[in-house]
Amino acid sequence: MQLEAMPPVVRLTHVSRTYQAGALEVRALDDLTLEIPPGRFSVVIGASGSGKTTLLNLIGCIDAPSAGAVEVCQQKVAELDDDAVADFRARNIGFIFQTFSLIPVLSAYENVEYPLLLVGMPGPERRRRTLAMLEAVGLAAQAQRRPNELSGGQKQRVAIARALVKQPQLVLADEPTANLDSATGASIISLMRRVQADSHTTFIFATHDPQLMSHADEIFAIRDGALLEHRGSAS
Amino acid sequence: MIGVLVKIAWRNIVRNRRRSLMTASAVAAGALAMLLFLGYTTYIFLGMETGNVQHLGHLRVFRAGYFLYGAGNPSAYGIDGYREVMRSIGADPVLEPMIRVLTPTQSLMGIAANYRGDNAASRTFFGEGIIPSDRDRMLRWDQYHTGIYHPLDPPMADADESRGLIGTGLARILNLCAPLALPECPPAPAAAPPPGEHPGKVNADIAELAGRDVPQGGRAPGGAQIDLLAATVGGAPNVVSLNVIGAQPQGAKELDDAYVLMHLALAQQLVYGREEHKITAIVLQLKDSRYLSAARARLNALFRERHLDLEVRDFAELVPFYGQVIRLFSSIFLFIALVMGMIVLFAVVNTMTMNVMERINEIGTSRAMGVRRSRIRAQFLIEGTLIGLIGTAVGAALAIAIAALVNRSGITWIPPGNATAIPLHLDVLGRPLRALGICAGLVLVATAAALLPANRAARLSVVDALRHI
Amino acid sequence: MSGASSAVRSLGAALLAAGAALTVTAALADSPSAQEIIAATDRVRNPGEPFRSTVTLTEYVGGSERNHDRLVVFSKEDRATHQFRNLVHYVDPPRDAGKKVLLDGHSLWFFDPASNVSIRISAQQRLIGQAAIGDVLTVNLGVDYTATLTGAETIKDAARADRNCWHLDLKAANDQAVYAHVEYWVEQGTNYPIKGKFYSDSGRLLKILYYRSFAPELGAVRPTEAVIIDAVDTSLATTAAFGDYRSADIPDAWFQRDYLPRLQVQ
Repeated sequence: MQLEAMPPVVRLTHVSRTYQAGALEVRALDDLTLEIPPGRFSVVIGASGSGKTTLLNLIGCIDAPSAGAVEVCQQKVAELDDDAVADFRARNIGFIFQTFSLIPVLSAYENVEYPLLLVGMPGPERRRRTLAMLEAVGLAAQAQRRPNELSGGQKQRVAIARALVKQPQLVLADEPTANLDSATGASIISLMRRVQADSHTTFIFATHDPQLMSHADEIFAIRDGALLEHRGSAS
Repeated sequence: MIGVLVKIAWRNIVRNRRRSLMTASAVAAGALAMLLFLGYTTYIFLGMETGNVQHLGHLRVFRAGYFLYGAGNPSAYGIDGYREVMRSIGADPVLEPMIRVLTPTQSLMGIAANYRGDNAASRTFFGEGIIPSDRDRMLRWDQYHTGIYHPLDPPMADADESRGLIGTGLARILNLCAPLALPECPPAPAAAPPPGEHPGKVNADIAELAGRDVPQGGRAPGGAQIDLLAATVGGAPNVVSLNVIGAQPQGAKELDDAYVLMHLALAQQLVYGREEHKITAIVLQLKDSRYLSAARARLNALFRERHLDLEVRDFAELVPFYGQVIRLFSSIFLFIALVMGMIVLFAVVNTMTMNVMERINEIGTSRAMGVRRSRIRAQFLIEGTLIGLIGTAVGAALAIAIAALVNRSGITWIPPGNATAIPLHLDVLGRPLRALGICAGLVLVATAAALLPANRAARLSVVDALRHI
Repeated sequence: MSGASSAVRSLGAALLAAGAALTVTAALADSPSAQEIIAATDRVRNPGEPFRSTVTLTEYVGGSERNHDRLVVFSKEDRATHQFRNLVHYVDPPRDAGKKVLLDGHSLWFFDPASNVSIRISAQQRLIGQAAIGDVLTVNLGVDYTATLTGAETIKDAARADRNCWHLDLKAANDQAVYAHVEYWVEQGTNYPIKGKFYSDSGRLLKILYYRSFAPELGAVRPTEAVIIDAVDTSLATTAAFGDYRSADIPDAWFQRDYLPRLQVQ
């Protein structure tokens, strides 16, 4: 299929990331090399402290490697300055967080609309896209509610809508179901699976959730900052 | 984009309404204090300016050197041919439309004496010779609608050169309390003979000679007529009689004890005697104080053109006290502004720091979504500005309301340099540019105070911020 | 400068001697001109040569004696201005002894040995007190005034005796004249000055002057006492008694301000 011929959306080459914790040097990622093909529903698994969040941060261009090269959407991230990286994220990367992280003073509608403001989309188009996105996550009726008036599942739906509304090439989700009960988690997973299938957006998850793993096209298992296993449909 | 930043800032202010209220209150208190003080100083400045312009005019033309050297001997600095000079000033096309009153005046010094009755008394006086109708017109100047108008009481007449007014202190010293029916004016105690001088027996021979041509013990006691003695420009002793028609309190005691206001003709008679009658100064009262520098420049040009050895001084130069009061109040204002500015600064820094600390995760989320650092900074600066704006608006509204209350309450007071009580008036909007400056300054301080926390927010690492719950 | 005022108060005496020293033209027997009468009376008051005299000033308030000063005066005519220059030396009371005053035309310098400085006394400072009488006595009638004869009049002199006088009206002739207008009575025949009335520029009567006690002094019969009545403060009167006239050779150098500290009087 065509997607298989396209270049990888993420390419990490000999990437290391070390942190200074007092006098101690913590190696979160150690000489990691991997490629993630586009249009997949990929999952990064690993125990707490295995380095999977660090990996997601590097892929999401909100952290920089101590060594090695990160290339996202064919862009060498190291070549961009701070503002350019911010603009790059605004255009290409959507985030979904474990704690939902909606802006509390903005309504569901305004939270979803915010990323479109960042890319400077004109008003009418912005409104159409925002409403369509809320419709797609089943929250059209709750559009004017503030986050504190929404349930956990509804909040995460808003977060998904917010991540996807700008039609990014890449969506990163760090433990998106961890704060949800399993039924809600399941509905969130199926929602994400559906929108991923519709949009062919590349989804990358970090999770412990076995439910998520069962949906994955591809699984990267991480331990102690190194790739332990790569399972998935062969490319 | 800026719209959503303002929206977020505003909603956060509303969300933390108690904290925002406290901070805005500090700003409001600052605005209130400064605006009320501004209103007070404006009232004082305009009141003092009005008083000075009413009595001295805006500008005075002297013979060169008078201002620096003439005070000790005003009569030696008379303006030659002053009528001609006044005519050319009055006819000048530039000056003519600016001038409200153009009038001559003579300053003089001498001895005022009341030799009538038993208690003969005399004292050095400082006098002013004026044209009564011109003076009255000057006293009606009120560009700033202060309502200040203290007419000459009782009025002096252009037609009667012998009439004049004196300071209440001088009236007291000259034993005129009773003739002028002055309130709170006790008669002087009988003077004790100077030590070492014992009044001898009356020498009948001398007493007879003294009483032969002039009635002894003065003319009928009870009349408020005094003698003014001065040396003429030529050095000759000269005396005139002044019918004191009333006493008016003067602000400073030393002036109150020495002041004589008389008709210009009488002053000239006393100072110049048989010589050419001159004047000390040509007084210009302008329709509007804003003409002052233009009028001054034009006068100087006129005098240069005509080779007249004259100098122009404005009322602020003539009354150093005016400048001193302005400097005093300005420094008090600066002090208040400094204290209030500090309070606002600390209040806003504190509040904004708390706001930043509470929203670290939100900051991380925004940054991850692609919001630039500069917009995070703008976000919090806008919040500080909004708090400043709200506080300033509330403070300004309160200041205007309080001023209106005070102005309606009819409280009176005696301003510095004044002799009589006048209604207290807070003129908050009397100098609108300054009021605006105070408000803008406070908003600026609030914004500047937000800069530190805002920079801190902008500098946060995205990863650390996201990890912060 | 407390000494200044009391010293200045006593100046009248010094000034008394300063009169016009005019060359007297021969008086016409019957109808002397007003100017001739004035010149003659100036000559009665003042010797025609440099001289020294003693003056005693007595101040009266309401007819009671208040103050007493004794001074020695040196007088000499200034050839240029025909005015006398006077140097006054205080003798009594002791607190004023040694003080000196120089009068040259309109300028008046006061010297206080205690502070060893000379200060100028302004016209303004001579307005009241007995300093003011100086102006009456210095009146240089012949030089500074233009006289007209008003007529013959019989008036009472200081001792209430009738005197047949010429009544003269004097108007200021130049800026040096202190008074705008003076009325003067001079006895017919003797040319004794009997009485004067002095008016200010404003027309107010300032001073009334009587001469009395005529006696021979330095070659002529002269008035030896003047009574000056203040017409503004009518309770004030001053007498100036002159005596001990002596012809003296006075160096011109004495009449300089710089000389005041060095001048010694025996």
